[in-house]
Amino acid sequence: MTNSTNNWIECLKKETGLEAKEGTASLQYVLDVDKQEAHQTLAYLKRAGFGQLSLLTCIDWIEQGTFQLIFILMHWELGHHLIVRALLDRENPEFTTITDIYPGAAYYEREVYEFFGVHFRGSAVYQKPLFLERWDDMPPLRKDFDPQAYSDGKFPKREHPHVFKANVVEVTE
Amino acid sequence: MKEVKLFLGPQHPGMHGNYSVHMYVDGDMIKKARPTPGFLHRGFEKLMERRFWMGNLALIPRICVVEPDINEMVYAMGIEALADVDVPERAHWIRMIILELGRLAIHMMSIGGIGGPTGMYTATYWGIAQRDLILDLFEKITGARIYHMYIVPGGVRKDLPEGILEDLAKVLDQLEKNLPEYEELILRHPIIHTRIKDNILLPASVVWELGVTGIGMRSATGAKNDLRKVKPYARYDQVEFDVPTATYSDALTRMNLKYQEMHQSIRILRQVMEKMPPDGPVRTAFSPGSALRYTVPAGMVYTAVESSRGEYGYFIVSDGKEKPYRIAVRGASYAQGLLGIEKYLPGYRIDDASIWMDTMGVCSPEIDR
Repeated sequence: MTNSTNNWIECLKKETGLEAKEGTASLQYVLDVDKQEAHQTLAYLKRAGFGQLSLLTCIDWIEQGTFQLIFILMHWELGHHLIVRALLDRENPEFTTITDIYPGAAYYEREVYEFFGVHFRGSAVYQKPLFLERWDDMPPLRKDFDPQAYSDGKFPKREHPHVFKANVVEVTE
Repeated sequence: MKEVKLFLGPQHPGMHGNYSVHMYVDGDMIKKARPTPGFLHRGFEKLMERRFWMGNLALIPRICVVEPDINEMVYAMGIEALADVDVPERAHWIRMIILELGRLAIHMMSIGGIGGPTGMYTATYWGIAQRDLILDLFEKITGARIYHMYIVPGGVRKDLPEGILEDLAKVLDQLEKNLPEYEELILRHPIIHTRIKDNILLPASVVWELGVTGIGMRSATGAKNDLRKVKPYARYDQVEFDVPTATYSDALTRMNLKYQEMHQSIRILRQVMEKMPPDGPVRTAFSPGSALRYTVPAGMVYTAVESSRGEYGYFIVSDGKEKPYRIAVRGASYAQGLLGIEKYLPGYRIDDASIWMDTMGVCSPEIDR
């Protein structure tokens, strides 16, 4: 398969049986993969020209009890963005690290662990704190995390509540 | 060998924003570097989930402080794609004016900004002064200098004020007249030139390893990987401009590309003034009802624009309600600002660390969010 042709969709279907669908925006495609086959699919896609991992993030579908990992890949020659999605069990979110395919994912994995609590097996560093300092609650981007309650419990109430009042100066002529 | 731990930042004249790097140095060689983000972490992604679609407009420009308009643009593009609304023709062109003026402003700041780490502060003053004239234009158009909240989903907030195109033409003429002077003072000046020539190299293999985009990518690979060309948004497909590239990326090359991009931005803006429709609507509602109760059809979309540092994108998920379900921000400097520092800052000297940050384009607010 050559990088300059537009047939990665067909090749992907022929070789892996997966079908990429058109996304909401133009030049954008969506591909749902199983957690087990995500790794090999990503490796295949990288060879097929998706050389750049633009974003790795996660969605918390709390009502369905799942996390959805999102890998956004970019094919610069065609200008295609591909959103690869994989569902994880919310109770026991585990995934294999993809830093061997996309080394740049190392910090994204740390971020997803910090904000969602997804474990990346095979990575030695994903549990190191990144943005949050001395965080002591559940990962904060999960939907059941309530910032208001956390803040109320963590910080003391103001002794003198702040009242914002305009200081009106009357002008007399 | 004796190692000393040094802190670069979070407050440092050579740092842009509150960002810290822990450097382990031997003599003045950096042996190990650990990026320490989080000083500007304000929890935007969580905050956005708790606000209305339109309410978020006040929030998003703050994600990248120096270049706020790209945030508004990707947010608007995402919502428009999900809601499937067409933006009025004139609004597209007005958006291009805002985006290119923003690019000029940040390039001016960044070209001048090299004066900080190299110790020639005149460059900084000149750059900031020139940028201020662009901010004046922003103030006339949007009412604000830094955070404009002007590009809204469905178009732009208001039409351009009267006479603004004449003002814009004046500012462009003046900028174009001054640019050679900046080149002479900043890019060719012995103090800066000697420090940044053949320094801070970025090979093409590193670009692909880290996922660097924008000027970093174009200066190393020679490919015209500019999102304005590769997948044009707004009306970038209807204007002519070149994408400057290079195949050897040192700090000077990257500064030179910025300088050349400014010429291209001026060229784009002149064409916009010529080609944009003289009047017409500038905004459509993307949902019926009151603006605070706007809803967006369920779905997910990733939108990206070319910022001064590379691909800047939002991944927007809607569940059809009044608030976003999830928004993830792809900061353009994430790649070089975290893994890049950890792997490729070691080997340079302490006094080059600030130049590294500056010319690689590390912007802390968009990394921390």
